[in-house]
Amino acid sequence: MLSRAGILSGQQCKNIVALSTRCMATTPATSTSADKPSQPAFQRPVRQQPGKVRLGFVPEEWFQFFYKKTGVTGPYAFGIGLTTYLVSKEWYVMEHEYYNGLSLLVLCIIGVKKLGPAIAKYLDKEIDEYEAGWNSGRESEKTALNAQIKEEETHQWSADGQLMLVAAKRENVALQLEAAYRQRLMNVYDEVTKRLNYQVERQNVEQRIAQKHLVSWVVKRVVSSITAEQEKQNIDKCIADLAVLAKV
Amino acid sequence: MGFGDYPAEYNPKVHGPFDPARYYGKPDVPLAQVKLSEIGGWLGRRNKSPRAMASCISRAWWRWQHKYVQPKRAGIAPFFQLISGCMIFFYVINYPKISHHKNYKYH
Repeated sequence: MLSRAGILSGQQCKNIVALSTRCMATTPATSTSADKPSQPAFQRPVRQQPGKVRLGFVPEEWFQFFYKKTGVTGPYAFGIGLTTYLVSKEWYVMEHEYYNGLSLLVLCIIGVKKLGPAIAKYLDKEIDEYEAGWNSGRESEKTALNAQIKEEETHQWSADGQLMLVAAKRENVALQLEAAYRQRLMNVYDEVTKRLNYQVERQNVEQRIAQKHLVSWVVKRVVSSITAEQEKQNIDKCIADLAVLAKV
Repeated sequence: MGFGDYPAEYNPKVHGPFDPARYYGKPDVPLAQVKLSEIGGWLGRRNKSPRAMASCISRAWWRWQHKYVQPKRAGIAPFFQLISGCMIFFYVINYPKISHHKNYKYH
């Protein structure tokens, strides 16, 4: 592209200048746009899955923290050891409230184990229904819009059919025009033939009449040219011929 | 920044919707990754004003809530965690009275 003629033409020079200015202009634009993806740490908060727990309430992370250092039994050993220490040194005093709490704990555990699954199922169902209730408007609008889109596509399809129909109508009109044209051609042919036939017939008739007149004229002239003497000679000749014939 | 306002570092245009569990300031090294020799400097960098402490506790509370209470199918664990925490807290504050019920004099 950078041929000598191109550069000399001047147009190319203008292009190069424009290209260079554009490059300079986009340099700060790219640097500013590069700032935006440099903040991926700030994402919209999303709803989390419930954290995993053991023994009903102890976070899983507690056990993972022990796992690397002590293995799987570590956290339990730690818990039991701590409890033993607290109880044996009476940091934890087992007075009447302790036994009260123990019975309450047993009741809680039994309640969770017996009623938990049923309540969880019921609440999950409720949550699903609640969410479906919130979503129903959106979903119905979506289905309605999809139906409208489908209808629109059907309309477009039938509009395409209209195009075909118009083409067919055009073809039909063209056929009619062709038919009319041919009929007129036929008319012209018929008329011309008729006129020519008339001319031929007229000529024939004139010829015939002229011939007839000529013949009658000639006959009349011949007949009028026959004199009485000629007639008599003729009759005599006839009689002589008859006599010859009679002799034979 | 008055009472009940967003943190000064929070910028809706950059950070999007406000997340009460998130610290919007410049993050320091997490405590779990601090070396023992650096722990003095780490503690020195902490903002120990009452407001900062309150907001730290608030963030922790919201983090706990987001993890255990707010999920769609949260279990019963947060209730038990709260009850356990309350038991320990009230046991500690009542310890001077409870210690009168000790069964043994010498341990």
